[in-house]
Amino acid sequence: MKGKLSKVWAAGCVLAAAAVLVACGSSNDNGGGGGSAAKAAETKLTDKPLTLTFLWFEWPPAHALEELGKEYTKTRPNVTVKVNTVPNPQWHDAIFTQFAARKTNFDMPILDSQNIGEAVTNGSILDITDWVKKNVDTSQYDPYFLASYGQYPQAQTGKANPDAKTYGLPLLGDTWSMIWRKDLMGDTPPATWEDMIAAAKKCQQDNPGMSGLAFHQAGSGDAAAVTYNVLNALYGGELWNPDDRKIEGVINNDAGKKAMHVLVDEMVPLAPKGSSNWFIDEVNAAISQGKVCVGFQWIAAMGGLLDPASSKLGKTKEEILDKLAFAPLPKQDTDRVPLGGMGLHISKYIPADHQAEALNFIKWFQTPEAQKKWAQLGGVPARNDVLNSPEFLDTLPYNKVFTESVPRLKDFWNLPEYAKLLNVHTTQVNAAISGTQQPDAALDKLAKDEQAILDESSH
Amino acid sequence: MADTLQTPPAASPAVERLQAPPAAARFRFLTDRKLATLFIAPALALLLFLSIWPLIWLIRLSFTDYSVTRDVPASFIGLDNYVDVITSDQTHKRLVTTLIFVVGAVGLQTVLGFTIAYLISRRMRGRGVLTTLFLIPMMLSPVVVGLFWKFMLDVQFGVVNSFADSLGLGRAEWLTNQKLALFSLIIVDTWQWTPFIMLIALAGLTAVPKYLYEAAEIDRASEWFRFRRITLPLVWPLLLIAIMFRAIEAFRLFDLVYILTGGGPGGTTETISFQVYKIAFFGFDTGRASAYGVLIVIVVTIAAQLYLRYLNRLQER
Repeated sequence: MKGKLSKVWAAGCVLAAAAVLVACGSSNDNGGGGGSAAKAAETKLTDKPLTLTFLWFEWPPAHALEELGKEYTKTRPNVTVKVNTVPNPQWHDAIFTQFAARKTNFDMPILDSQNIGEAVTNGSILDITDWVKKNVDTSQYDPYFLASYGQYPQAQTGKANPDAKTYGLPLLGDTWSMIWRKDLMGDTPPATWEDMIAAAKKCQQDNPGMSGLAFHQAGSGDAAAVTYNVLNALYGGELWNPDDRKIEGVINNDAGKKAMHVLVDEMVPLAPKGSSNWFIDEVNAAISQGKVCVGFQWIAAMGGLLDPASSKLGKTKEEILDKLAFAPLPKQDTDRVPLGGMGLHISKYIPADHQAEALNFIKWFQTPEAQKKWAQLGGVPARNDVLNSPEFLDTLPYNKVFTESVPRLKDFWNLPEYAKLLNVHTTQVNAAISGTQQPDAALDKLAKDEQAILDESSH
Repeated sequence: MADTLQTPPAASPAVERLQAPPAAARFRFLTDRKLATLFIAPALALLLFLSIWPLIWLIRLSFTDYSVTRDVPASFIGLDNYVDVITSDQTHKRLVTTLIFVVGAVGLQTVLGFTIAYLISRRMRGRGVLTTLFLIPMMLSPVVVGLFWKFMLDVQFGVVNSFADSLGLGRAEWLTNQKLALFSLIIVDTWQWTPFIMLIALAGLTAVPKYLYEAAEIDRASEWFRFRRITLPLVWPLLLIAIMFRAIEAFRLFDLVYILTGGGPGGTTETISFQVYKIAFFGFDTGRASAYGVLIVIVVTIAAQLYLRYLNRLQER
């Protein structure tokens, strides 16, 4: 009995080992680099019912995109646009785990601009360089938008790279807006960052129960990271030197350390107690509940601030606007503002008819009519003509903040190692904000760990 | 008169042995052993392909620099991943955090769980209802528990701080203060999993023979004596098994950390499992994450083996 059962176990183990060997021997069936859109471009658009699926994180523009999709359906009645959303901390995971499986249940991933490098080097999104040249007039776009939202390798700030390939086109432009209580602080926005801090401090002192500032501090996603990067840029710092791939000694130079001290020693004390895990929703809630004097928020996420149903500042939009004012970020040593926003990309792992439809959607989306509708629904377009049109500027009171900020935009790196770098970046900044580490020590560790990641990578 | 006294027969009559009718010709190949093998084959196949094979695959990947997202074949790098993991500062810190959590959470759950079980076992009326009510937290999904505790522990609008504030105790930063964040995780985990210990302890308490208590009562033993000399020694082995299960689960904690603190503030509540998640899904360093996973399995297995040896010795006494 024992002998026969041992044979069963042995047979089972041999089967398992054989399966492992077969699996070990199998090779990846995809080459490196992004797949080409050439085949998709040649595929005729289908007449059969088709659902064009996007994957984004949960925030108002995702719902606006699905609403905009109904406009697309008017041009293509057999196509339904569906936008699936995930919580922001899972945004990268949700997309890239499906890329890892070489099979996606979405057609068009909305990638954060900094994730393009990872998607391209893994060969997960289509190269649409040739298709764009033939089908899209890109002259209406600021070259930096084209570079940031679709190109890899990414060019230096403000310039497009003529040798870079295009893997997407702009979907949503975004940057930070300053929101302040003009009923408490006056109509004129502070000119410099230090003026802003002083004004917020005075407002806090004059209004017991209110805090001076509300801004992103959480140690997840890019919350704390962007906050520090804003200050780093404003005080004349840099995140890295791309020529020699140096982070250590660059980000934690004098300007970088000054920025960290301003953040930790001057801004954090003015933020509400326990706000070191705040991100988009918490900042909006604090502003809407009248708990803070000055807030900083992504423009695309600000729609709810003017909604009387979720605001204690007024019973109507006009009453709220009597209290809130919006402006681009104050300047300091430089006038840089953070580049947010995303591009439209196409998954390589979907059928050709879906890829063809996705290309058609991108082509339609870039038209002025679609962009104006996008602006009306609360999206932030990227075409220069639409950005300066009444349809955009008059739709929401803070839209002009984006238009005025375009010449000042500055982005992160969009390296393939971005997700790992961001993890270190946001964790260490949050460590400094929450008092877990001293500001200088946190910044030095950030620089050291990020340098190690870059050095270890093969790129 | 009939002769009822009869001498029994010298030898009992031969008993006819019953034999099963011969199997139909087409089923003769199905012997008992083969039938037994067939019945366990599905379970065995599931075990092999869902547990054994992934484990073998994991071990294989742990010796490579494989990444699921990169279109580059895996290269054998020997023990590099293991050396990186074992010598990493991050690993040591996460291990310390995890151990503090395990000891704190499981210790608290054991004390509370056993106390509640002891009190319930003394009641006759409403015992079933009480037990069911206490079991509710255990039935909830950890993600749901994490979400509503996150709201409850919020500094500004959380109900816990509102209550504390109304008592004049001020507002605590439950999830954002370095010293309190891990404590908050322990409390939330205790809230959810104390019922598990309670259930097992209750089973042990109700199995204690009543006559032991009766005998002790006759000898006028005190309550404390009865507890120390009868209740605890008899329930202790069962309690140890519950502690072992909880410790293994606590060691693997991920979902509460993800929802409640995200590993913060500043990474101070990141556990070993959370660290593996980051390595596996932020950087898609599949090889290194696999090595991490293998090391966790080894640590837990060794700890469980030592624990079980102690348990066996206890039961032999």
